[in-house]
Amino acid sequence: MNEEELQLHFEELKKELDGKIDDAQLKKELNTYLNEYRVTAEAAKRGIKRKYGVDGSSSFMTADTLSKKIDELKGTEMNVDITAKAVYVDKKQITVRGTPKMIISGILGDETSTAPFTIWEGENVELEKGEVYLFKNAYTKLWNERVQINLGSRGKVEKAEGIRVDVPERTITAESTEVKIGNIKEGMGDVTVTGRIMSVEQRNITVKGEAKVVYSGIMADDSGKIQYSAWNDYSLKEGESICVKNAYIRSWKGIPQLNLGDKCEVSRVDDSFGEIDMSVSKKTIADIIAVGGGLDLSVTGTVVDMRAGSGLIRRCPQCNRSVLNGECTAHGKVEPINDLRMKLILDDGTGAISAVVNRQDTERLTGITLAAAEGLAKARGDSEIVAREMAGLIIMRRMTMTGNVLSDDFGPMMIVNDAKVETVDVAAEAEKLYDEVEGAL
Amino acid sequence: MNARETAWRLFSSELNSATYEIKGDDEKSPSYVVTRLGAMVNRVLVAGVLTEKENVGTDDEPMWRGRVQDLASGNFFINVGRYQPEAAAAMADIDTPAFIAVVGKVRTYTADDERVFVSIRPECIVKITEDIRAQWLLEAARSTWDRLNRMKKATSLGDLSEKALLAKGFGEKDAKGIMTALDQYDIPNSTIYLKTIQTALRTILPEKNIDLGLPEDMSDDPDEIDIEPGSTSHSNADMEDIILSLLEELDTDGKGALRDELERRAESEGISSMELEEISNVLMDKGLVYEPNLRYLKRI
Repeated sequence: MNEEELQLHFEELKKELDGKIDDAQLKKELNTYLNEYRVTAEAAKRGIKRKYGVDGSSSFMTADTLSKKIDELKGTEMNVDITAKAVYVDKKQITVRGTPKMIISGILGDETSTAPFTIWEGENVELEKGEVYLFKNAYTKLWNERVQINLGSRGKVEKAEGIRVDVPERTITAESTEVKIGNIKEGMGDVTVTGRIMSVEQRNITVKGEAKVVYSGIMADDSGKIQYSAWNDYSLKEGESICVKNAYIRSWKGIPQLNLGDKCEVSRVDDSFGEIDMSVSKKTIADIIAVGGGLDLSVTGTVVDMRAGSGLIRRCPQCNRSVLNGECTAHGKVEPINDLRMKLILDDGTGAISAVVNRQDTERLTGITLAAAEGLAKARGDSEIVAREMAGLIIMRRMTMTGNVLSDDFGPMMIVNDAKVETVDVAAEAEKLYDEVEGAL
Repeated sequence: MNARETAWRLFSSELNSATYEIKGDDEKSPSYVVTRLGAMVNRVLVAGVLTEKENVGTDDEPMWRGRVQDLASGNFFINVGRYQPEAAAAMADIDTPAFIAVVGKVRTYTADDERVFVSIRPECIVKITEDIRAQWLLEAARSTWDRLNRMKKATSLGDLSEKALLAKGFGEKDAKGIMTALDQYDIPNSTIYLKTIQTALRTILPEKNIDLGLPEDMSDDPDEIDIEPGSTSHSNADMEDIILSLLEELDTDGKGALRDELERRAESEGISSMELEEISNVLMDKGLVYEPNLRYLKRI
């Protein structure tokens, strides 16, 4: 193909690639496809577009690998190609079964997201921060709900010459980002938080045989509150406001906790939160699902289902676990104690969470006492009847529930410490909606 | 983490006019019926009057079917299978008519002629009071209104894409649902949904003169019945006439025409059973025929 024809295809591709590749590089690619391998112009253009990631379809099957953007990674890929910028690189020696070994770890980023990576055969590999690399035949794993990119002995890393990757600032998690306490989520990197110390307590623990004092308590701002642990003595005092730089987040069962570690800087500040309402934070269920959990949250929704394990249940007298057929999973055959509880599904139209209601609230909400439940079960010779009776009284009720929310594989669950039935003034609300609709038309 | 899918509060007019489903392949990617207002619906919470029920299974293995009327003319179709023993027990206990609430998963069913029907597979069915039903009408009206507004806001944007919606503060599912709905169905006819909201408000506030100034004699939900032109040899009006005369002919004892018999005769007139179902619905909506029970259809 002559220079003139090549130039035409070049111009066309250049427009489509939108600056993702140098002019010289693009010309070289076109020349390789068209004049060295002599494929059709159509195939050449398709190939180049694929290679530099501007094809309409985001994923592309070759014989055995898939090329993906970071936010497309699921954590289950066995063989995937990733082109991304090394945002952070760290080469270090580890010991595997007594043998020293060099690995390279860090963070990769592309325009969609960032993810940590590890190159397990790092002996003869050098990566430079800020450069763009092609990770070939990588595999991915999920850890703490984050995707990790791994390169094993089958994998290869090469410099992606001429490819530009723009990593949006905000996704670089290696840097400390400033957040409101109410927006802190599991899996965040380092954070900078300003808040007021609501409580401090001292605990003596032993770390690797060494006695240590940990300071922990609740810190709050006007968006929410969080449990913190300080691993050094910053002489924190109740009621003072501090700005914490480079703190890190660890979650326990979905409840994020703020950790003040060695890298952390603490300064005293004047806050403008005013009176912080420590009682509860009102949330939608979608908010709670996004964050994963939290302390003293309050939600209003409709009870849409009652799950198995509700009603009259039996508990182990030693560990309080619920037991089936008189056998505790930890203590074997026991003489169980009767109890009442409800495992409800609360749904507010933005999302749904499980809510576990203790005996006291169960009795209050249903009007069925433990004694009455025992009597009913005995009279009918069936303890399931209690749950059915309760379901009839509770399902479709609108309720406000307050408690701590944890998350596990089954999604978020609230341990309810207060529940009340909401009475809705339907007529007044309907008038309000009517005015709103009429006003908008 | 697999959070439970929320139960959407929506009216039958919105649910039944949905024809597009995003099929999930496993537990981790559930299926969604996408409505014309952009709701990605996996689960619903609906309430209304259980007007009919029928056990199409056996006594040992019941399979209940039912119709739940949410407003003046719209019905939800529910199918309780053997894997929902609690819902089946509730269906056996509840006598029609009754106010009920249903929480369940939605599924679509595609007929031979490619028309799509939406039904609900209940997980939980309970009898409710009229007050709670009014509460549901309000929630569904509010939720429909919110979706209409979101759709309006989205379509008024110059740059309409999932990314642009996310940047404007739309939730992930809302953005995806709205883009899918616009791709599949185009911009929705808001009058249908406003009319439903109006009917709901009239039901809640019978004393008040609710009037949103909408055209009252609008043809019944054109969205709901999508007949491709040329898909049948008869025109709709022809078929309606044929069915009406068949109904008169077959109603020998005043009880109406037996469905099975009607279906056989309609077939010989060149009307398929799917067309028959659809025409009967049209005639019922027009108030020309009704179902004294599930096996009969009768002219009024």
